[in-house]
Amino acid sequence: MTEENAIEFKGTKQGLSICIKPNYDFQTIKVHLIEKLEKTQSFFKGAKIFEIKGDMLTHEEKEELASIMTTRYKMDISSCEKPSKSVNSKEEVFEGIVEGKTKFVKGTIRSGQKIDYDGNVVILGDVNPGAQIIAMGNIVVMGSLRGIAHAGSNGNTKSCVAALYLDPTQLRIADVIARAPDGDYEKPNNPELARIKENMVCIEPYLNKK
Amino acid sequence: MGEAIVITSGKGGVGKTTTTANLGTGLSQLGYKVAVIDADIGLRNLDVVMGLENRIVYDLVDVVEGVCRLKQALIKDKRYEGLFLLPAAQTKDKNAVSPEQMRKLTNDLKEMFDYVLVDCPAGIEQGFKNAIAGADKAIVVTTPEISAVRDADRIIGLLEASELRDPLLVINRIRIDMVKRGDMMNIEDMIDILAIDLLGVVPDDEAIVISTNKGEPVVNENTSLAGQAYRNIAKRIAGENVPFMNMESNESFVSKLRKLFGLAK
Repeated sequence: MTEENAIEFKGTKQGLSICIKPNYDFQTIKVHLIEKLEKTQSFFKGAKIFEIKGDMLTHEEKEELASIMTTRYKMDISSCEKPSKSVNSKEEVFEGIVEGKTKFVKGTIRSGQKIDYDGNVVILGDVNPGAQIIAMGNIVVMGSLRGIAHAGSNGNTKSCVAALYLDPTQLRIADVIARAPDGDYEKPNNPELARIKENMVCIEPYLNKK
Repeated sequence: MGEAIVITSGKGGVGKTTTTANLGTGLSQLGYKVAVIDADIGLRNLDVVMGLENRIVYDLVDVVEGVCRLKQALIKDKRYEGLFLLPAAQTKDKNAVSPEQMRKLTNDLKEMFDYVLVDCPAGIEQGFKNAIAGADKAIVVTTPEISAVRDADRIIGLLEASELRDPLLVINRIRIDMVKRGDMMNIEDMIDILAIDLLGVVPDDEAIVISTNKGEPVVNENTSLAGQAYRNIAKRIAGENVPFMNMESNESFVSKLRKLFGLAK
């Protein structure tokens, strides 16, 4: 047969992985999937699907494929829906704030963008209002921090947030939340560092004053 | 092969359509062949601002669906030989076209024109995605309001995600007197946050309202300060080096006299 198939099934430990090759339109993919499942109906019945892979597909299209497989062919897709988040919550508090893994991000982080990392984060640029930086360790912004920063996101109260211009909309360290004062307030004029002191977020310059 | 430029902002009402109409007219004044596309399907305005509403027979959706040829849908401007409008459909919605179709459409227009300006709808949904699909460059319009600047920032992020890097900034409706009093965001603050290059600043001008209602872009009026600003921006797009104009000149003659005699504050 010369006809190529748009869909490939792969067995993994967690269940079936369905790979969808790029460069096919969605209708062909659907037809191929149904053809394939029709041929081997009883074999896949009740099979656990681990993931649907396909960069070209939108979320809605993936959901449509999933619904075909669950309703028509009684396949189990429950594990595919949510990524293994429950494993993460049991994870130990990130301790590498003095020495540990770090992500460097170059450029301006803009409104609607979010950096979430299980270590320290260094931003080489500005963090604008409406942007979010979430790190299990420290956050250092080599620019202006005007958005939201959450250091020690899984509970390390010793983590800190530092910026050349520290003027965030909201600052969270572990489970302590601080926000910018309402109305006019004094803007910083030198680099500052925020950390927890007596269960409050405390902001102070980290360079020696002349 | 021409260049496709999308004019976008995120927030509504900051002057995307006015800017598109004026830059289109401004560029054709300089002798270029220009097509302006209204991508705001369902809420079309560009034709009204340019005073070409009564000439519409076919629209963008008709072209995409193959109801008519591209040339049939293009409307020639009243004044300028080289300026054409491709109007949006009013009875359809944004889902009537896809980004691929828009990409093909802008590519076809780029063959025929020096500049293709796309007037993007407000928002970040389908209409926005369609409008930016075929663009080579982007102009982000904002006003000196925190909400508009915030939306502009979001849009710049989305443009970067779509491989449209280094957009240019147009600050619209600025009032220098209010900036001086500290009641309005100043230009430096906005550039500081958005961190993109400034293409031009357009002062708030009554002439805009008047000309929009008449359907005649303000660039045609030599006396208007906003018209001058748009002419300068058009020249900058065309690659000329035009210095930023001095906004102070909108002071009235009387207030200048007052200052001279030390009567003003």
